[in-house]
Amino acid sequence: MTLPAFLLGSCYPAGPEYVDDLDVVYTTYDETYDFQGQNTYAMPDKIVVDIEIEQGAVGRDTTFVYMKDALAAPILAAIDARMQAYGWSKVNISAAPDVVINPAAISSTTYYYSYWYDWWYGGYYGGYWGWYYPPYYSVSSITTGSLVLTMADPSLAETSPIGKSPLAWLVVANGVASGYGEVGRVTKAIDQAFAQSPYLKTN
Amino acid sequence: MQTTMKKIFILLSFCFFSVGAFAQSNTTLSYSIGVPMGDLSDFVTPISWRGINLDYRKMVTPNVGVGFTVGWNVFYEEMGYDSYTVDNITLSGKQWRYSNHIPMYLNPTYFFKPGESLNPFVGLGVGTMYSLRNTDMNLYTVEQDAWNFAVVPEIGFQYSVDDATAISVSGKLNYGFKAGNELDGNQSFFTLNVGFSFIN
Repeated sequence: MTLPAFLLGSCYPAGPEYVDDLDVVYTTYDETYDFQGQNTYAMPDKIVVDIEIEQGAVGRDTTFVYMKDALAAPILAAIDARMQAYGWSKVNISAAPDVVINPAAISSTTYYYSYWYDWWYGGYYGGYWGWYYPPYYSVSSITTGSLVLTMADPSLAETSPIGKSPLAWLVVANGVASGYGEVGRVTKAIDQAFAQSPYLKTN
Repeated sequence: MQTTMKKIFILLSFCFFSVGAFAQSNTTLSYSIGVPMGDLSDFVTPISWRGINLDYRKMVTPNVGVGFTVGWNVFYEEMGYDSYTVDNITLSGKQWRYSNHIPMYLNPTYFFKPGESLNPFVGLGVGTMYSLRNTDMNLYTVEQDAWNFAVVPEIGFQYSVDDATAISVSGKLNYGFKAGNELDGNQSFFTLNVGFSFIN
């Protein structure tokens, strides 16, 4: 049985080796939306990462938590660069832009819980001789970060029954957080999101 | 109830032990190298260097052996960073593809030169094959499986080392017919099997 055990244990193919091997970029778009007919966009200069709800004197107060500028600036710059390369012009939100882009970042942590048994010769205990197998428990976690970009046309809100614009374009870039704040992985994901969305091109 | 059990037991005994005159067996444990074909080769291209095969054959006559085969072949490919588009959705990233195959079948085999040092044989296995395909991306896996009806023609030879041991080399075409609706094709591969046979 040594050979099968050897095959089982040491020869099963490997998987991902580096944390950025797991980076993925998801994009989808509204096939009926006329991207070519638009040419201006507006975008906030901050990236929302969380929402804080505080109990104030009169009621609950909701405030946004923003990404640190040192990280947000290169991300926003990457979006601007790509949009402009595709022929879009950035305007202020008050200048009635054709579309509005909203970047947000979310992190989530998944916990993995596992156990396995191992055989131990227990000797004499509890009135019995014999084997026992103590379980081993382990808990590990993986924190992933997602950058979510939405593009919507504010003029469509008027014709919507719920008064909100449907999404014209959605990007979700997800990766495993390494804890090093690698902004390069995020800007690379933005480049990829635009590269795989040629329908945004207006020029 | 007990009589029925007894009858079944006696019938089974006949299947396995009725040919006492040639109460020999031929058991081969081999390393199995797999070459994907058809739908499987669309999923993973590289040759699989991970495989094992166990063939047990009860000799019914000096020339004819019948028994069962169990095997395991793992195909794997690490895909480069790529984009996959379905309708208006595009997903980019690295993929890791795994395809596990566990053939299990009856293996009637004809040996041409029993007792000689070089003993060629042909066989035709009929049974089933469990196929399990995993496509890993990010932290997720897409799992698809099938129980394929399998036909496994085999050709090879056994070369005697001594009275009880032989080196066995064979080629098998593991043909798993399309089954279920998760995997949409035949799951087939060719294997080259090199191992030892124990004859007693």
